[in-house]
Amino acid sequence: MNMIPDDAIERLLEGCQSIAKQCETQGIQEWEIVASQGYGRSLDIEAGRISLASGGGEGGFGVRVLQDGRYGYAHLVDPSGAEHAVSEALSIAKASPQIEGFSLPNAMDASPVEGMSDEAILNLSAEDLLMQGDDIIAEVASLDKRAVVIGGGVGIGAEASVMLSSEGVEASGITTSHGLGVQVSIEENGQMTSSWESCSSRQLMDGIPSCVPMAVEWAQKTRDPISVETQAVDTAVLMTPQGISSLFSNIIRPSILGERMVRKESYWSEKMNETVLDSHLTLLDNRRMEGGFASSSRDGEGVPTSCHTIVEDGVLRKMIWSTRDAAKNVAEGRIDSAITTGSASRGNHMSPPTTGCGDVQLLSSRKAQSRDELIQTMGEGYIVHSVMGAHTANPTSGDFSVTTSTILRVEDGEIIGALKQAGVSGNLFKAISNNVHLGTQSTSGGVSSTGSNHLSDILFTQGMRINPA
Amino acid sequence: MVIQSQHAPDHSRSTKYLDRTRMNNALEQAMDFGATYAEIRLMAETTSSVRLKDGQLEHAIPGQEIGATLRILADGAWGVHSTTDISNIPNEIESTVKLARAVAARRPSGSKPIQLAEIPVLQDEIHWRPKKDVRNTDLQTKLDMLQAIHSSANDDERIISVACGWSDEHLHTELLTTEGMDRTWSFQRSMVNGMVTARDGGDPVSYRMRHGGEGGLELIEACDLGGLGEHARISALRLLKAERAPSGKLPLIADRDLTGVYIHEALGHPCEADLVAAGDSCLDGKLGQKIGNDIVTVVDDPTMRGGYGAYPIDDEGLDVREKTLIKNGILTDYLNHRETAHHFGIEPNAGARAQDGLHHPLVRMSNTMIMGGSYTDIDELAEDIQYGVYACGSRGGQVDTGRGSFQFAAQEAYLIENGEITTPLRDVSVSGLTLQILNDVDGLTKDAKLASPGFCGKGQTVPVGDGGPIMRIREALVG
Repeated sequence: MNMIPDDAIERLLEGCQSIAKQCETQGIQEWEIVASQGYGRSLDIEAGRISLASGGGEGGFGVRVLQDGRYGYAHLVDPSGAEHAVSEALSIAKASPQIEGFSLPNAMDASPVEGMSDEAILNLSAEDLLMQGDDIIAEVASLDKRAVVIGGGVGIGAEASVMLSSEGVEASGITTSHGLGVQVSIEENGQMTSSWESCSSRQLMDGIPSCVPMAVEWAQKTRDPISVETQAVDTAVLMTPQGISSLFSNIIRPSILGERMVRKESYWSEKMNETVLDSHLTLLDNRRMEGGFASSSRDGEGVPTSCHTIVEDGVLRKMIWSTRDAAKNVAEGRIDSAITTGSASRGNHMSPPTTGCGDVQLLSSRKAQSRDELIQTMGEGYIVHSVMGAHTANPTSGDFSVTTSTILRVEDGEIIGALKQAGVSGNLFKAISNNVHLGTQSTSGGVSSTGSNHLSDILFTQGMRINPA
Repeated sequence: MVIQSQHAPDHSRSTKYLDRTRMNNALEQAMDFGATYAEIRLMAETTSSVRLKDGQLEHAIPGQEIGATLRILADGAWGVHSTTDISNIPNEIESTVKLARAVAARRPSGSKPIQLAEIPVLQDEIHWRPKKDVRNTDLQTKLDMLQAIHSSANDDERIISVACGWSDEHLHTELLTTEGMDRTWSFQRSMVNGMVTARDGGDPVSYRMRHGGEGGLELIEACDLGGLGEHARISALRLLKAERAPSGKLPLIADRDLTGVYIHEALGHPCEADLVAAGDSCLDGKLGQKIGNDIVTVVDDPTMRGGYGAYPIDDEGLDVREKTLIKNGILTDYLNHRETAHHFGIEPNAGARAQDGLHHPLVRMSNTMIMGGSYTDIDELAEDIQYGVYACGSRGGQVDTGRGSFQFAAQEAYLIENGEITTPLRDVSVSGLTLQILNDVDGLTKDAKLASPGFCGKGQTVPVGDGGPIMRIREALVG
């Protein structure tokens, strides 16, 4: 049985058209309506068993109106409430400041991004999903009889979405997703260690995804912690993709937004064409990555998307914009000229579009090293696999001070053991600007509200401080 | 796909969204299919958010959302269906019973079927009516209030941006169960917030502020909004000259905000009985044991009107109550819901909360506080400290409940030298181990109060309040 109704798009389009009709009735000059309807199945795992299975769907409509360069927004779940919603959006528009030069984007052709949906996910039954849950629980037990999945779950989703605007944009599509997360713990001899790992894809993940054995591995690796001197040290730190991704999301991603740049709220403000990353590093904001969680053929305003080179060989080359943010900051004189880069993002139908990152990739022109080679290069330092408190990092300054319980001590190019807990602090902008080494394999992480990063192991040789508990 | 119409709302009476006859018939059908318990919980939300950036309206978003969750217990396992299509719920009964049974069929030998603790079955309505219904507040009033924050926050040339936000919500919930429960309740939350960014040639710094709670417009009217903006401005400017914090194990004094975040992260989450039952809490097996200093008493209290985590009825239909989690250092209770109350053989204490109508309830905190101690003020707490840190304002925290390790970050901080508060510090975070640091709390001022409103994430996000007195910790890992 298909998870998503055959007429899902038609039903959304019909709703959009009725809201559009209301916009025209109320004399709205420009309007843009988005609609989405998600369908999903999921299961929760607790204490080594599947504890709950669920399904369902949710969605709604959002309407943005533009009147004399002033915009308003409202959201609703039922198009029969369109009259009230459009009226509210219009009254808000009237109270909003006029943005000279702000117009909704015209319709333009957009080529599809591959890999955004998978029929196999649409056809996956609840029983299929439960069987995958069974397999994950069994796999963990087979890898280490002490290991238990104490939390997490598996889920699949499909979302139908539609955009319709007065400027001729009419777009629709269906995307799918498959994600899982596992918290694996090992409790023995009064000692409990655990590790949370997750992975996701727009394609069906057959079998046991690699994050499952990785959770067991890190729960094992962090047992029997060693004692080290409890004194903070400035040292080399190898961050795994899972370790760096949340800090990257909270610090690097906001820094490339055009509005933050021109308002001087970004550490990289006024540094265009200056070196901001180690000279072999390139930072891409890719909205057209095959199967990318933050990729699509059009952005949140209907503009065709691109892959942007933000930093090239260490030099800052570009910032990203939505139509509205670009017009507003030009009108306010913060920048001479700016146009949309097809970078408008929406959380869901309840949010108006704002500038946001796509799938962000950090690449190196140098030969990448394996993790073992990076450890050899490091000689002495630490490997950090996950951090707590990345959301408390300062996105403006790049300063962070977080905690880790998955940290390994390296001496003479060898891992000698785990620490029970340590603080990790530094300034990510400064740490990533010099003498950085990247690992071989790019791994996605930090999907969902913080976006989608595609990072490899990163060896920081300066700018990091470890503070063992 | 949705049957509920959403025309301009009538605030004068309580509209019922669930068709009682149809939905009760659907619930009965669930029992016919073999369920032992079933419920339909609907939440309708009327929301508004406004954002002002540098004194100009950035956006104002009115919204109305509705969702419902069907939760069915069959053969000792849960099946759940969530939807915005309320009319379709009766059509999902059979498949949801089957889902629950499919989960039950996988239960490992030795694992007990889920059962629910008994609670009173009530049919009533409870509405926490605010003094001033926030839904009647027009946009201009909201803008004027945000402008008051902006004007005082922006009053220095080193301030490079000020963002202010307003959010309010009216929440209407209905719960029908196969036990005969038919409860409807409603309440409101209102909040203003802001972020000030300052720069003086060097690196930019920022400072955040929040004020709000359970209630309507009266909550925001009672706030000195100019004072809120001024405090944020002064703090941001102070951060421009602040130094990097020392690293290491140091005596720490935390203000009310940070004390609240500390107790939320370090104790509150490990006390959630669903995590304890899953084997993901360092407090497993420790009920009745001494886990903290004698001076530590902690409560979680959703009845505390005005707190951002207050609510009248939990999402399983149980009247809320104060819960004492630690009494004089002894762990006395877990936060629980009906399933975990039965699992541990303890009294249900109304800790079930769902993010909205589309999520099933989990065990959550509400307003969590350490109670006051014997010290008069911060000067008395600091006088014995030769070298330490006084940390203020929260930038959030996080916990690994199983390992019992936590982290929280301060907005600003100061060195304490020879009992005196001296040099401003920036980017201070504190980490530790729950079972160790509760014993290291060695001083509390008398005046425990809720601090700034906050949000808690556990797969679902819910508003919470937390706070306490000013607190001294003998030694904490500062970074």
